[in-house]
Amino acid sequence: MRPLDPRLLRYAAGARWFFAAGAVLAALQTVLTIAFAWSLSQAIVGVVEGRSLAELRTEILVFAGTTIARLVVTWASGSVSIRGAARVKSELRSRLYRAIGRLGPAWSAGRSSAGLTVLGTRGLDALDDYFGKYLPQLILTVIATPVIVAVMFWQDVLSGVFVVVTLPLIPVFMVLIGWATQSVQRQQWDTLSELSGNYLDVLGGLSTLKSFGRAERQLTRIRVVTERYRVATMKVLRTTFLSGFALELGASLSVALVAVGVGMRLVAGDIGFGPALFVLLLAPEAFLPLRNVGTNFHAAAEGVTASEDVFAILDEAADAADATATAVHPGGGPSSAATAPAGLEFHDVGVSYDGTTVLSGVSARFAPGRVGVLTGPSGSGKSSLISTLLGTVAHDGVLTLDGSPLPSGPGERPWLAWSGQRPGLISGTVADNVSLGEASVDPDRLTRALALAQLDGWDADRECGVAGSLLSGGQAQRVAVARAFYRALRPETRVLVLDEPSSALDHETERRLAASITELAAGGLVVIVASHRRRLRDIADVELALTPAVAKR
Amino acid sequence: MRAGARALLRQAVPSPRRGAPGVAAGILQAVSTVALLACSAYLITRASEQPPVLYLSMAVVGVRAFALAKAVFRYLERYASHDAVFRQLSDIRVGVLARLIPLAPDGLSRSRRGSVLSAVVDDVDDMQNVWLRARLPLLTSAGVSLASVVFVAFFSVPAAVWLLVSLVLCVVVSVALSSAVAARSDRELSPRRARLADAAIDYVQSLDVLTAYGALPAAQERIHAADAELTRAQRARAVAESSVSALNGLFAGAASLGALVLAAPALGITLSGPMLAVVVLVPLAVFEVVASLPLALASRRSVRASAERIAATIPDERPPEIPADSEPRQGEPSPLPATGPAALTLSDLRVRWPGAASATIDGLDLDVRPGERVWLDGESGSGKTTLAHTLVRFLGYEGSARLGGHELSALPTRTVREHIGLIEQTPYLFNDTIRQNLLFARDTADGEELEHALQLVGLGDWLAERGGLDARVGERGALVSGGQAQRIALARALLHEFPILVLDEPTANVDQQHAESLLTELLGAAARGGRTVILISHDDVPEHLVDRRLRMASGRLAAR
Repeated sequence: MRPLDPRLLRYAAGARWFFAAGAVLAALQTVLTIAFAWSLSQAIVGVVEGRSLAELRTEILVFAGTTIARLVVTWASGSVSIRGAARVKSELRSRLYRAIGRLGPAWSAGRSSAGLTVLGTRGLDALDDYFGKYLPQLILTVIATPVIVAVMFWQDVLSGVFVVVTLPLIPVFMVLIGWATQSVQRQQWDTLSELSGNYLDVLGGLSTLKSFGRAERQLTRIRVVTERYRVATMKVLRTTFLSGFALELGASLSVALVAVGVGMRLVAGDIGFGPALFVLLLAPEAFLPLRNVGTNFHAAAEGVTASEDVFAILDEAADAADATATAVHPGGGPSSAATAPAGLEFHDVGVSYDGTTVLSGVSARFAPGRVGVLTGPSGSGKSSLISTLLGTVAHDGVLTLDGSPLPSGPGERPWLAWSGQRPGLISGTVADNVSLGEASVDPDRLTRALALAQLDGWDADRECGVAGSLLSGGQAQRVAVARAFYRALRPETRVLVLDEPSSALDHETERRLAASITELAAGGLVVIVASHRRRLRDIADVELALTPAVAKR
Repeated sequence: MRAGARALLRQAVPSPRRGAPGVAAGILQAVSTVALLACSAYLITRASEQPPVLYLSMAVVGVRAFALAKAVFRYLERYASHDAVFRQLSDIRVGVLARLIPLAPDGLSRSRRGSVLSAVVDDVDDMQNVWLRARLPLLTSAGVSLASVVFVAFFSVPAAVWLLVSLVLCVVVSVALSSAVAARSDRELSPRRARLADAAIDYVQSLDVLTAYGALPAAQERIHAADAELTRAQRARAVAESSVSALNGLFAGAASLGALVLAAPALGITLSGPMLAVVVLVPLAVFEVVASLPLALASRRSVRASAERIAATIPDERPPEIPADSEPRQGEPSPLPATGPAALTLSDLRVRWPGAASATIDGLDLDVRPGERVWLDGESGSGKTTLAHTLVRFLGYEGSARLGGHELSALPTRTVREHIGLIEQTPYLFNDTIRQNLLFARDTADGEELEHALQLVGLGDWLAERGGLDARVGERGALVSGGQAQRIALARALLHEFPILVLDEPTANVDQQHAESLLTELLGAAARGGRTVILISHDDVPEHLVDRRLRMASGRLAAR
């Protein structure tokens, strides 16, 4: 882990503000720490040397003042951390989701959607510890430690020298022990995650175990396994705790040695009582920020890992944006719209992902008022061909609608109504989902679309839940199809594309859906359905059978 | 707080015998911290009086010893407390599992069961912090506070009283402030966190749809709004927490200053100079230890929330819709035929999921003759899976369901599950070898029998390719395809020799192109030896593979 990723400053303006405010507060904290130690030691020395409290009024007032000022500064630096973390998190979060939007569905399809969700929510929340506990201490180490060491030099050269010599030993020892225990720590992490994984495995398979009458036996097994892991883990922890031990020992022993050294020279009369007590109170403060950096290192690492993942995506999106900005789309292809036949045409269309060709040389024409069905085994490129219409994949060749070339690149297509293999529903009502992307709902069109999608009699205000979780698979699929139908019923829509619209439906519903599709086509739409189910192939006016292209470029 | 959550928290605390070494080491570590500062202050103040060096040797030894002890006891504390906690964790894991078994799978919260379980595992792991991060620091702080007050009292009673008052005030104000804030933020935080997660899930999972329909900016705006709301709640909470930390410094300063003012008059009478320095500086070190208080309070709230979540997922009482598991009495023969399947007769069957407002199966009549192969069609959500779960007694029922003439509810659940086997839509494969995934179906089976079972389901070649029975299947069967998982699950069922088999959507996670050949092979293997097979599927099933086709709609059989 790097102590600080420069991209943090580049991508989050909140971070720049945090560092500026944090540095000012750290400087104030340093001054107050010194004033606190000075006034307290002077007050004690004064009383011990027999001065009255009234004579020590200045020292006592300074002490009371610094105590109160420290309250304010500690509180302020806490709020700066919190605000900094909140601003950076919000900035990174909205940049992350904008970047995902820019990279598009083709990109996100290759990623775990759960992973992307967790990264933007809980992952970024881990930055709280980074900003709250780690960075302020890092800033303090940079600002406070040199100043405090300088003051110690000024008060007592030998103590100053001693601290300068021992201070670097702490990080050195930590790194050395860290190296030595790295494999052991990795092993501990693996052990713990294996234990959790094992437990989750039993919980997840409970219905299977119950079905085979094996559930009760797991109780003994889990106990035995947990006990075995405890013994293994404790063996590992014995080593892991060493780095904490070194940190603690280094700091406390250094303070002890400063105290003993100063005490001995005090007896010899080489140093005054005042400077001696002052140096004693200052010595731990010189070590404290560095110690805290060490202690919070691991807590911070999680947030840093999350932010590095976010940065990687932001970098990728920035690169992609540059690439599209420089690439000029060839505007060529068949022209003279007046004489061209109406309908959607694919001219020699090819698609490849990462050098693997999934589709090549596809030419086809789909006429208005006709139903075209795409068939072919999975991997033959049905969904890829549809993606060329949506602009979510880069492709060779040209697509034309009524003779005019269609744009490539992602974005809304007003002439297209589409539903994909996954329903892709979002939180909100059925009406919200069906009228997605439109400012207001047209009630007549909504009723008609629902009826065509075999959802007649449905309450349009019914909640769909997150990602359609309140609906069954078949219901969600029909809502997604209704969304495409709703759009298809707009006058400006020319093409309706449905990818496996009946995979979760029973045969009766499928048959009626097929009738709806024919009815919509009769209204003059170009209709393309990707499916291998018999009932949908039966309604095809034209069938385009794709075969897998496995050629490597 | 639920009774279940309270029980979990109790369970997470080690017994006094197991916990004592950790507490003792923790208090000794904290005492060493205080003693190090006290001893150093004594050494320097006494040295300023320039006595013979010999007089200082005790203090010098003390300073070095406490510095060493501080680190050593810290190490011992961590070691002893982790050991004690890991022993508790084993009890909790087993306890949670024991409570899950009677409820699983359908008595658990119905929405997104998979993620609920992984959340339970995380929360169970979190139970270690009940002791490590919440109780132990509180006990340590209390121990060192008490020891310090008593120590100071030997030299200056007023200073000791003042220290006690400062400590009590600090704790009272911290607890009041942090719990007042927590009460509000706990109410706000988790719904707002959920709203942001929901918006993010919608966005990521429906990215293609949102892009194509031009709804991307609106969805980004929803995330942004949820983020702003969450941030507000988080900020309010964090500001309060940092206020508690800042207060510690204020009380520490007040305690030292008070000690100086109160002890000064006794100087030279009952108090020596070096001891005055000690009495004034001890409070600083004590408050340094007590500074862990806000963190301990925050941990306490977080572990309580974890315990609540576990308790919420696992109801204290078995819902009435879930049948109680029962074993046949020792030596009692099964009333069902020893070989071959029994007839299944369902009449006016009604089944409701726990917490559901209406019945999912509502008046189903169905007869299945022994050895018959029945195909049950119907849209997802029509009640097909519910029927499967009813047959293996994961769900209770009303009306009548007879197996070989005996009402299912009158038979021990073990007996029913020995007779009717279920292969789920996503069969569960354990993260282990192929052998272990088969062996629990019949633990007396040898390698040859296992290989034979795999050959029956068409996995003979695949097994050779994977290098035999000791190849691993990966986490949740990640290393095998959907079709292979179905076949392994069927092999498992064949080994167990269930007379009646229910196959729930075997082609749901299978490439549509291979669905038909998979169905043909599965049905062929399953129906061997006159087994009854109930096939649930909304895919195209070649009609010649089944004896009868039925269609379910809205929880009952529909006309075809």
